[in-house]
Parts: sequence; C-alpha cells; structure tokens
Amino acid sequence: MPEEVVIIFTSTHDVIKAKSELEKASITYELIPTPKEISSECGMSLRIEKPVLNMALEIFRSNGVRYRNDLL
Amino acid sequence: MIYFDNAATSFPKPKAVIEAMEEYFFNMGGSTGRSGHKMAIKASELVFNTREHLARLFNIKDSARIVFTKNVTESLNFAINGFLEKGDQVITTSLEHNSVMRPLRYLGQTGKIKIFIVLANQEGIVEPSAFENILKKEKIKLVVVNHASNVTGAITPVRAIAKIAYKYGSRILVDAAQTAGAFPINVIADNIDMLAFTGHKSLLGPQGTGGLYISEGIKLKPLIRGGTGSSSEKEIQPDFMPDQFESGTLNVIGLAGLGAGVKYILDQGVTKIRTEEMELTKIFIKEAEKIEGVKLYGPRDVNIKVSVVSFNISGYTPSEVAYILDNNFNLACRPGLHCAPSAHKTIGTFPQGTIRFAFGYFNTIEEIKKGLKALSQISNKEWIN
Repeated sequence: MPEEVVIIFTSTHDVIKAKSELEKASITYELIPTPKEISSECGMSLRIEKPVLNMALEIFRSNGVRYRNDLL
Repeated sequence: MIYFDNAATSFPKPKAVIEAMEEYFFNMGGSTGRSGHKMAIKASELVFNTREHLARLFNIKDSARIVFTKNVTESLNFAINGFLEKGDQVITTSLEHNSVMRPLRYLGQTGKIKIFIVLANQEGIVEPSAFENILKKEKIKLVVVNHASNVTGAITPVRAIAKIAYKYGSRILVDAAQTAGAFPINVIADNIDMLAFTGHKSLLGPQGTGGLYISEGIKLKPLIRGGTGSSSEKEIQPDFMPDQFESGTLNVIGLAGLGAGVKYILDQGVTKIRTEEMELTKIFIKEAEKIEGVKLYGPRDVNIKVSVVSFNISGYTPSEVAYILDNNFNLACRPGLHCAPSAHKTIGTFPQGTIRFAFGYFNTIEEIKKGLKALSQISNKEWIN
C-alpha cells in the first residue's frame, strides 16, 4: 500500500471544493477529521495517496483551492 | 389570488425550492463547517453548491468571494459600514431605498462621512455624467447605486457609472435587490466591486437569505465576529473568505432553497426570464396608459426598466386602491412609499406614494388583463358590489 498524505485546508469551503475537484479528476481521497496534533484552521482534511499528491496540488492551484502548503 | 407584489417577495417559488428545503430538513439536517460527520459534510456541500450557482449567475470567478447574509439590507450594511472610514466621501442617488439611505445617513449625521446625492429626473433616470461632475471635483471613496428602482423599475446604467468611478479611483457598491435573477449581471464586465443581493425576490429562494459579493482588493471590516468552524484555536477572527464574514450558524435550510432557486434560473436562463417579464410589463403599461384617471410614473420603455410599475388613480389614495384590489379583486400589490421616501420625492409622489405592481416570471397575460380590468373598474367607480 502506498504511503498516504494528509492535506489541510484554509476553510470548509476549500475542503468541499477540493473534494469536488478530485472527484472530477477521478482521484481517490478520504475525508478525515484534521489530526489533533496539527494546528488546524479547518476541522476536515483530505487523505490521499502520495503518488498523486503533486497532481492533486496542481489541480488545487489551478482552481484556486486554498490549502496549507506549509504543512506538507 | 393574483400576485403582483413580487418586488416585496416573489411568489410562488419553483417546486424545486420547496423540495430542496424539505430534503434538507428531512434527510440532511447537519450544520455546515461544524463537525466532520456525513450529515455535516452534506450540509457543507449544499452551501458550497449554492455559492457555486450564484458565482455562475453573476460571473464571479471564485465563489468564496460571496458571503451569505440574511437579506440585502444586511449585505448593504456590511458593505457600507465595513468599507467606509471617518473622512470618506460617498456618492449615491436620490432613488435609493432606505436600506442604503439609512446606513449612509447615519454615518453622515454622526459626522463620519460626506454624502453627495445624484438627482434623478422625474422619470427616475440618472445620468452617468452627473457622477463624473462630482468625481472630477471630489475625492470619492465609494459610489452606491441601486441597479433598478423598487419604485419606478428604472434600471441604473451601472456599467457606465462603474467605468467612470473606476477612472477616478472610486469603488462601486451595487444594490441588486430588484435585479438579481431578473436582469443579467456580470461582475467582471460591469466592473462591480461589491454586489448586494437578496435571495427571496427574483432569485426565487426563501426569506432570510441574501449575500454580498466582495471583489478581490476590497478591504472590508467584519461587523459580526464569532465562531466560524475554522481556526478554532485562535481567539481572533479569521481573515479569509468567506469565513471572515460568516460568523455563527448559517441558514442552511434557507440556502438549500436559494440554491434550488438559482439553479432553476440558470436552467431557464436569465434572458428568457427577462424577456417574459418585459412582455408582461409592456402589455400592462400600454393598456394602463389608456385607462382614464390612471397616472403612471417612471419610464414607459421596458428596455430600461424591470417589471415594476408605479401608478395612481385619481380620486383615490394608494392604500384605498390596494384595499379594493385585495378585497374585491383578490389582487395583491403594495401601496405607499415602498421604504424609499427619496425616490418618491424624486418622482413627485411624496408623501402619499403610489400603487406598485411588480410582475414575476410566473404571472400570466390573463392575470395582467384581469388587473387592467380591475383598474378600469376602480377608476370608473364600477367596483362596488
């Protein structure tokens, strides 16, 4: 099983937008509560497989989804 | 009942609006942005979709720039009080509703801002050059205009005014209470910095919904601070959109209905809605003008007005006419000053006001004809049973 990463977002609006953009691109994700040890801005985060991380981030950037780059 | 009070609130609503609200109440129920369970996520998606539909309707690139409020009055208060600072100067028009006048007048009375009023002519039409005459001489921070008058229906040439405001480094706030959903709005092409709208009129949603679009580069102070479901570890208000302006639990059931209303408009097309409402208005004006004793106000040309028509019948006060229409003809309309005393002063109908008919997408030519017949009977004193 490939390594997984958690992406943290600025607001609920961004998580929902990220989710819908990933669905359009057929990228599998899991919506999880933001891990407690991370100082979170939003209660929900997305977990995806590491090999698709760059593709996902590119999609987020081109669609204006605000994620926490500093936590990646 | 014939419903000609669509400028106050639209009726009926599309079935999809009621169904979306039922669906939320029966099967979803969660709060948006709070908790991460399936019901909360569904609610967050629903609010997100409503924002996306509105962004499509107004050509807004990033839907996060839309903030939800409870109505257009709240949106205008957020914009006016959040943007203006001591010493600022503002231009507005003599056609404004009290939702613009009262917050501006309050800031004026307390010595915080200076207000310049562009006077409309007796038809209720403002000339863009009148704005330029002031902008040339004064440093103006904000221009506030209604997109269409709730009294005369006259459409303000927003695009031309915004272009002039932009030239002089001023920002523009547009009150779209009477146009959102009934007239094409494109915030990019129209150069609109802030757009205030309500959900329960031509957007066909329920009461208690509204919003404010804030373009990038506009710095606004939030008027309400509190829980947003984000940045919960911090005791200071977040500075990102839309959370910065959406403290407290949102009206999710209302936004479910609003989303369905906007979706309905997108499916029908604003142009089609506009064309049909223009047609009804055109027929009404053409025939009403022929009725003896009926005096119409505002422009007659439907190309420069929305489906709002003000008139009086000689020998009656506006409220007498509305009362007879309601009691004897089962027709709903609104008499009086329509919360816009300045607009009535402009067209010469202050303080008695007018009778206002506001047609909607669901009105029919048959209803227009019945309304005309009623006016003719009232004017000829043939209404008494």
